[in-house]
Amino acid sequence: MEVYAIRTLRSQPLRLAMTVGGVALCVILMLFLISVYKGVADGSVEYVRHNHTDLWVLQCNATNILRGSSFVTASQEKSIRELPDVKSVSPVLLVLASVQKDGKEKTVFLTGYDITKGSGGPPQLALGRHVQRDDEIVLDRSFAAKFGFDIGDVLHIQEHRMKVVGISRGTNAFVIQYAFATLRFTRKLVGFPGIATCLMVETNNRESLGKIAQQIKEKVRGVEAYTHEAFLKNNIREMESGFLPLLYTVAAIGGVVLTVILSLLLSVNILERRKDFSVLKTLGATGLFLKKMIIEQALLISSGASLTALFLFFPLVHVIGILSPEVSVKATIVHIIGVIFVVQVMSFFSALISIQKLRQIYILEVFR
Amino acid sequence: MNVLNQKNPVRLSDVTKYFESGGNRTYALKNISLEVGRGELILFLGPSGSGKTTLLTMMAGLIKPSKGSVFLFNRKVDTYSPKELQKLRACSLGFIFQTFLLIDSLTVLENLRVVLRFSGYPRKETNQKAIRLLQQFHIEELAGKFPVCLSQGEKQRVAVARAVANDASLILADEPTGSLESKQGFEVISLLKKLSETEDKSVVIASHDLRIVEFADRVFRLEDGSIRGNRPASFRPLKPYSASEHQIFAGNG
Ligand SMILES: Nc1ncnc2c1ncn2[C@@H]1O[C@H](COP(=O)(O)OP(=O)(O)OP(=O)(O)O)[C@@H](O)[C@H]1O
Ligand SMILES: [Mg+2]
Repeated sequence: MEVYAIRTLRSQPLRLAMTVGGVALCVILMLFLISVYKGVADGSVEYVRHNHTDLWVLQCNATNILRGSSFVTASQEKSIRELPDVKSVSPVLLVLASVQKDGKEKTVFLTGYDITKGSGGPPQLALGRHVQRDDEIVLDRSFAAKFGFDIGDVLHIQEHRMKVVGISRGTNAFVIQYAFATLRFTRKLVGFPGIATCLMVETNNRESLGKIAQQIKEKVRGVEAYTHEAFLKNNIREMESGFLPLLYTVAAIGGVVLTVILSLLLSVNILERRKDFSVLKTLGATGLFLKKMIIEQALLISSGASLTALFLFFPLVHVIGILSPEVSVKATIVHIIGVIFVVQVMSFFSALISIQKLRQIYILEVFR
Repeated sequence: MNVLNQKNPVRLSDVTKYFESGGNRTYALKNISLEVGRGELILFLGPSGSGKTTLLTMMAGLIKPSKGSVFLFNRKVDTYSPKELQKLRACSLGFIFQTFLLIDSLTVLENLRVVLRFSGYPRKETNQKAIRLLQQFHIEELAGKFPVCLSQGEKQRVAVARAVANDASLILADEPTGSLESKQGFEVISLLKKLSETEDKSVVIASHDLRIVEFADRVFRLEDGSIRGNRPASFRPLKPYSASEHQIFAGNG
């Protein structure tokens, strides 16, 4: 590391602080986006991931439960039950429902499941217990936190009085949160007895799931069967297609802003000290020496900014968790290292841009 | 020591330099021929615009002649690649500028160390060598100071130390006394004179400061890019210049 690289940066402390701050903000933005993505990704598919079953059966053309509608009728369910390799079938009914409390309405993704078997229920309970009766409901933790629900509270869905008996985890899909009630209640709410969104099918023969899925498709008209892995993948893909473009766009903007801020600072530093650079050139500095110095400055700033960002990030996540609990943020080491690596690459890039300024500095300037 | 440093550093043979802009030609140097020997202190004296700086930069290989040839260390300057010229500046040339041009964000010691790095000194040894240099010029107490804290005279000493840090055999000084009081100017020139006498360094000074004449082995008077007068050392006056002599050397006569 060249002392000159450090000294020139330090000689303008305010400018340095502003640049490090600006770059750190970009780093925080990127970290935050990645972590929100991870949180949403996990929250959106945790339900499917956790509810393991051999096969998921949906109305044909429906591939996932996140976006798109699927109806499986009672007769289709019956036909599937009668297939020789099918051991059991657990219907799940997912509907958007309005929850009312104190005159306000909030929407949940109400999940009716077979409480006797428990298939299709909440992935994890944070508090309380599972529903046991038709007038009971389990709410997502961040939903409950955001709207001030607690165990024992009473709320209304349409004209039905429901008591909150549990708080679940892994059920926050960012734009909407899951809630859990009995299958019977949910069917009553929709008004179609025997209807389901999907069926969780257990088989007698785990080795030939593909064959059984094929059999279901052939024997029962109008349905599609997926292995658990395939169905999980479908849901992940659906979630990503909704979220990733946004993530990439904002992250790219963050990256561009970072590059612009850094290359501006480095360029200003070079031009402001063009006499220095001109003297160094005259005294025999190689082009490599000067370029290395600029690159060192860039990496120094981005490292400082990354550290600052890390220092601020976790307290910030904590504050956001308090202010808006429905924003689930998950930061993993891999993601953090990834973001910092990208930031270093971008800062290297900024240095390369600024290095062009060296060409505009001539040795003869020192003799003027 | 660098092998180059055994040779006569500079020879100009019928050198003309003009600058062209917008169809106009400005002649900065006209038909200059001269050779700088080892251990010589040469002074180019002339008024503003007479071509002194152009001549110095030509001797450093920084600009090419429009006509004629410049030889640096017995080799025609056109045959040096940019990389070789950079090496030459780093290892065999020393520069002193009118406004010193020390790097403000580096300490005195670091100002010397950076030049030592360019000349290929191993990084670890630059510290020792820089301290020895400061001792040589009796300014070791300035090592940790930044240039802004130095007096003009101190700055000039550091500038001289920096110019010789790389064991340069040719020192090019453009108006080295321009920013100094008489006494300090005298000291700097004495230093340069001592370097030429005891270390066999060739020193070329461009200036319009008549006080330097007394120290020079040869004095060339430049006017409008041409050499108008040439005084060998034996012509050196023992008493200060009279007003009329002053005018002649300043080119106003
Ligand atoms: N790059 C250039 N382009 C055009 N003209 C130039 C250039 N460099 C020098 N000149 C011209 O060449 C002439 C000699 O300039 P030079 O700088 O060598 O003079 P000088 O003797 O060093 O003057 P001073 O004492 O003011 O430093 C001047 O007329 C100057 O305008
Ligand atoms: Mg000049």
